[in-house]
Amino acid sequence: MADGGGADPPVLRVRNLSVTFTGSGRDVPAVRGIDFDVRAGEVLGIVGESGSGKSVTALAATGLLPPTARLSGSIRMGAVEVTTADAETLRTMRGRDVGMIFQDPTTTLNPVLPIGRQVIEGQVAHGLVPADQAMSRAAGLLREVDIPDPEARIAQYPHQFSGGMRQRAVIAMAMAGSKRLIIADEPTTALDVTVQAQVLAVLAKRQAQTGAAVILITHDLGVVAETADRVAVMYGGRIVETGEVADIFRHPRHPYTVGLLHSLPRLDIVAERLVPIPGQPPAPARLPSGCAFHPRCPIGRARDICRQDDPRLRELADRQTAPGHAAACHFPDEVQALLAQVAPKAAATAAPPAPDQAVPLLEVEGLHVHFPIRTGLLRRQTGTVRAVDGVSLVVRAGETLGLVGESGCGKTTTGRAIMGLVRATAGSVRFAGEEVTTMAPPALRRARRNMQYIFQDPYASLNPIKTVGDIVAEPLRIHKLFDGMGGMKRVAELFELVGLSATMLGRYPAEFSGGQKQRIGIARALALSPRLLILDEPVAALDVSIQAQVVNLLQDLQKELGLAYLFIAHDLSVVRHICDRVAVMYLGRIVEQSDKATLYATPTHPYTQSLLSAVPVPDPSRRGPGGKGGADRIVLEGDIPSPARPPTGCTFHPRCFRAEPRCAIESPIFRDFPGLPTQVACHFAGPRAMAPT
Amino acid sequence: MTSYILRRLAQLVPVLFLASIGIWAMVYAVPGSPVGAIVGENATPEQIADTIQRLGLDRPFYEQYWSWLSGAVLGDLGESIQSREPVLDLILTRVPATIQLGLAAILVGLVLGVPVAVVSALVPGSLIDRMLSGWSALALGVPTFWLGILLILLFGVQLHWLPSVSTYIPFFEDPVGALENLLLPALTLGTYVSGIFARFLRASLLGELKADYVRTARSKGLRERDVVGRHVMRNALLPFVTIVGLMLAAFVGGTVVTEAVFTYPGIGRLLIQAIGVRDYPLIQGCILFVLVIYVLMNVLVDVLYAYIDPRIEYR
Amino acid sequence: MSGSWQRTRAAAWRVLAHPGALISVAYLAVTICVSLTAQWLLPIDPLYQDLASTLEPPGATYWFGTDELGRDILARVIYGARTSLLTAGGAVVIAAAIGVPIGLIAGYFGGWRDTILMRIVDVLLALPGILFAMALIAVLGRSQAAALVAVGITGIPSFARITRAQVLSLRQRDFVLAVEALGGTAAYNMFRTVLPNAWSPILVQVVILSSVAILLEAALAFLGVGIPPPTPSWGEMLRTGKSYLYEAPTYAILPGLALTLTILSLDTLGRTLATVLEDRREVVEDEAQ
Repeated sequence: MADGGGADPPVLRVRNLSVTFTGSGRDVPAVRGIDFDVRAGEVLGIVGESGSGKSVTALAATGLLPPTARLSGSIRMGAVEVTTADAETLRTMRGRDVGMIFQDPTTTLNPVLPIGRQVIEGQVAHGLVPADQAMSRAAGLLREVDIPDPEARIAQYPHQFSGGMRQRAVIAMAMAGSKRLIIADEPTTALDVTVQAQVLAVLAKRQAQTGAAVILITHDLGVVAETADRVAVMYGGRIVETGEVADIFRHPRHPYTVGLLHSLPRLDIVAERLVPIPGQPPAPARLPSGCAFHPRCPIGRARDICRQDDPRLRELADRQTAPGHAAACHFPDEVQALLAQVAPKAAATAAPPAPDQAVPLLEVEGLHVHFPIRTGLLRRQTGTVRAVDGVSLVVRAGETLGLVGESGCGKTTTGRAIMGLVRATAGSVRFAGEEVTTMAPPALRRARRNMQYIFQDPYASLNPIKTVGDIVAEPLRIHKLFDGMGGMKRVAELFELVGLSATMLGRYPAEFSGGQKQRIGIARALALSPRLLILDEPVAALDVSIQAQVVNLLQDLQKELGLAYLFIAHDLSVVRHICDRVAVMYLGRIVEQSDKATLYATPTHPYTQSLLSAVPVPDPSRRGPGGKGGADRIVLEGDIPSPARPPTGCTFHPRCFRAEPRCAIESPIFRDFPGLPTQVACHFAGPRAMAPT
Repeated sequence: MTSYILRRLAQLVPVLFLASIGIWAMVYAVPGSPVGAIVGENATPEQIADTIQRLGLDRPFYEQYWSWLSGAVLGDLGESIQSREPVLDLILTRVPATIQLGLAAILVGLVLGVPVAVVSALVPGSLIDRMLSGWSALALGVPTFWLGILLILLFGVQLHWLPSVSTYIPFFEDPVGALENLLLPALTLGTYVSGIFARFLRASLLGELKADYVRTARSKGLRERDVVGRHVMRNALLPFVTIVGLMLAAFVGGTVVTEAVFTYPGIGRLLIQAIGVRDYPLIQGCILFVLVIYVLMNVLVDVLYAYIDPRIEYR
Repeated sequence: MSGSWQRTRAAAWRVLAHPGALISVAYLAVTICVSLTAQWLLPIDPLYQDLASTLEPPGATYWFGTDELGRDILARVIYGARTSLLTAGGAVVIAAAIGVPIGLIAGYFGGWRDTILMRIVDVLLALPGILFAMALIAVLGRSQAAALVAVGITGIPSFARITRAQVLSLRQRDFVLAVEALGGTAAYNMFRTVLPNAWSPILVQVVILSSVAILLEAALAFLGVGIPPPTPSWGEMLRTGKSYLYEAPTYAILPGLALTLTILSLDTLGRTLATVLEDRREVVEDEAQ
């Protein structure tokens, strides 16, 4: 890699760049004076939470900001000064030199144009590919990103592509021709982890072929650790720390970077407790004075200099850090001490003994949820979506069961069917020994008092026209227990229980941040003193630093109130942190279930193994020697099949590296794996080392 | 595609069936009986009996409906009470006039409306946009019949450039005469149509210009006119076509009113005349005919939508 | 609830901050007040025939002139406004009272209720509104009640569809599911959670449909199938005025002007309302980010 060099001029050179949005009547500073370079063949990772200015930086570099943005400073792309160039120069630059990859592949492609045309039209428009060769070149580009049968695929439309294939097509489009700079803005955030692995692999492969410089914008420290050469950490519109990736992760010198690293649940280290950053990221319109991080900073919170003076980004002079490592902090030396102080303590003892003897609170057996597909005039049923296809699980009092899987695996439907929000097609759900599925509506409503649900998106789960006090009081009113349980006093108690001030009762949900809204959702769920919470991706929509706060709250509440959790998530690191036992779902079925320690240490199902190996770990030293992405990663081929047309036999067999002819015919039974506290559904189950490869 | 159209046509059968019951039954909902309305107050018992027999009112109602429906399907809509001529013939002589007016109005609407929509969508919030939006509000808000009267006052009464009363002259027989007679009605109805284009196409374009794929297209370095022309326009047509489908009813209504303003000999005017003299078979025939045309136009809109949007499978 | 009252007031102020909407509201307020109180407060009679001065041009005695029977056109325009507003208002009430519950039930429960209710609405929509109204009036005969019912029925489908679309999207929102998960009954959820969140597009539709209803009523009268004379009505005046274009051009111009201004005002108000209510949602979401 060219990171050590410095001989070639950088592909992109940004100096003192500021971007201010003027559209809303007042000036909103989104980017406030940043410098960085990117060289050919190098990957620069820009990391930050929402509102940090990372995406605005990317758009500024290509001149794609809306007219309400005011730029100052300099962006130099080769011979072009982007901040002052005319539209035609920028257009030529975008067509010939810069490619962009955006976050959501479902919306970045035009739904009514064929893929092939979209992939190649930039090249044709700039005269780089003659029109008569366009389609064959488009097919070639799709082949480069591992899309099978590209000649047929070029005539298809985006809706005929899966999410992962769409993003690969976008990569093909962005890297067509001889681009010198690729800007990838959260390119894998909308994708499942096994598909993310494919897409990152393709991105790395194309970069190696073209030698382009890459700016990778992400909130995911794991992705950065795995793919970037250098990192810039953004906060409040500024770069607060930058340097080589290994150095940043090993010797962070800005309290924010330290905070980010420690608030993150990790797959490789089991921490007893996460160390969250207090507060929340500032909105660009309401930046704190001085150092934007000082209100959340353990070092600067009480210091006048941090409150008044915004520190410059300075190269560090300490012995541990490598050259080129700079931080914008008044007290970088104190960060070292901080590091020792807040470093997550690895769990001293093994997880508490699994409460095997505890009574089962929730018993689910053979749960099926099938949705009919109806088409045509007469609404005839022409197919079935087997969203949940035989799920059995047990949650005992006081324990946490993690239900993990990728999108479309049926985990959310499972949770909703248990709550009775979706009607189960077959199977039984018993709560405290009572069958829930056959209950009449009034009895079901009473049963729901003991079982509550927390939704993924805190923005959507609170009624926008009620005050938060009324929202938390609503369950009490519905069950006519408001006066019986103490009225507004009970509501105030609940607020304090989840760490919110009771003075906020009269406000509306829109006045709260995402993390606070999720706390309100939790308070509402706790109002009726339930015994089981079904948590559907409760932290997935939150910023990294806020996730840790909510995770800690959930752990405290469990201890305090003796709650049982069914924790539904796609994030294996969070699940590892919070759960006692874990069940892995694939296409409507549980494929493997075990206690946490066993599942993460000795996974026996090939799907669990590839899932675990696909998670990027925020530790650059664990990168594989040969290339990026980890040496022992299993990159699954293909995409998750539709639950409307599940494969025959074992539904995982088309993507499985252990599949044999038998797997396509015979569906494996879910049974105990000898020698481990594990149940698994695989004909060839076994730890990776034992696996016949 | 063909089978999609056929399927879409098959879906009309229940709607048309229910509507045909309604149209057939409306005569029987008249207070008293239609006979009274037909023969007048001073009729002799013989006249009444004769009318009842001629209309088949002495037969069971399902037989009456069946004979009416089977006749209608085969093109026999009965006989006009006034003129004693077959209803279908009366309608068919008026059809070309209405079609000529409708097409001319759509043409006027396209020419006046589409450029307005595109220009104002490209500079939203600007002075030009606000002026053009004001214009589209006028085009949609001014009642067709009042606009027609104003045009007659100006061009017919004051300036004597164009006739105040329009007759139907086939365009291909006498283009000049046809234009003279068609210009004011087409402008009247076309202004309304242009308002639909200007307002709703602008809204669709604005919505689409915010979409992510527009940013992608720009990031490829496409010219702005290619971004709009190749990427945005086709997507914007989708919500717009839906709106056009919903506005078809207003267009049909506008045609009826416009024909009344200019005493233009189309189907709308025939219907109004029929209502005026309570010529029930003719009323039924006209309404059924307009209904069929209207639902066929709706099918056309759906087919157009499916043609533009590759996500609709027309297998 | 005081909070929602504050929000309503804030939204109202934002609507009035738009100059076009302010003028529209002022014009509508004056029209409504004058036309509804004219019979007690104004010394005018729309039916008095001054046969000595027919088809007079506008002048000192008759500001808007007189019609072919010597009646005061200004008085008839003012009383015509009353006819128009009452018919349109009544029609919108009928349409909303039937359409909103249909949309609410169809959207909330889905399934066979949805299929049956929306098929009925589809058939109602299968005939262009004006033709439906003409057919109905041809059957019922011309009367104020017939016009009211005919215009009202044609408005049912749009209320049903808009409510249903809104309820369908709300039905998928987590906060509605949350109430269900808490054990709230369907009725509680429909009336306490879904409907209060659906009112803004329904309100916009009330305003827009009022203008459609006024236009439809006038069109029916213009075609000679609306409210029968001698009740003053704008459409009827245009119909008669059209016969005297040479003798008294203002006869056809002035009632049309009143009609057009009313329609434009309602249209402007409706669209401003839609923008403000949509904007509010966007502002709220922006601030939450």
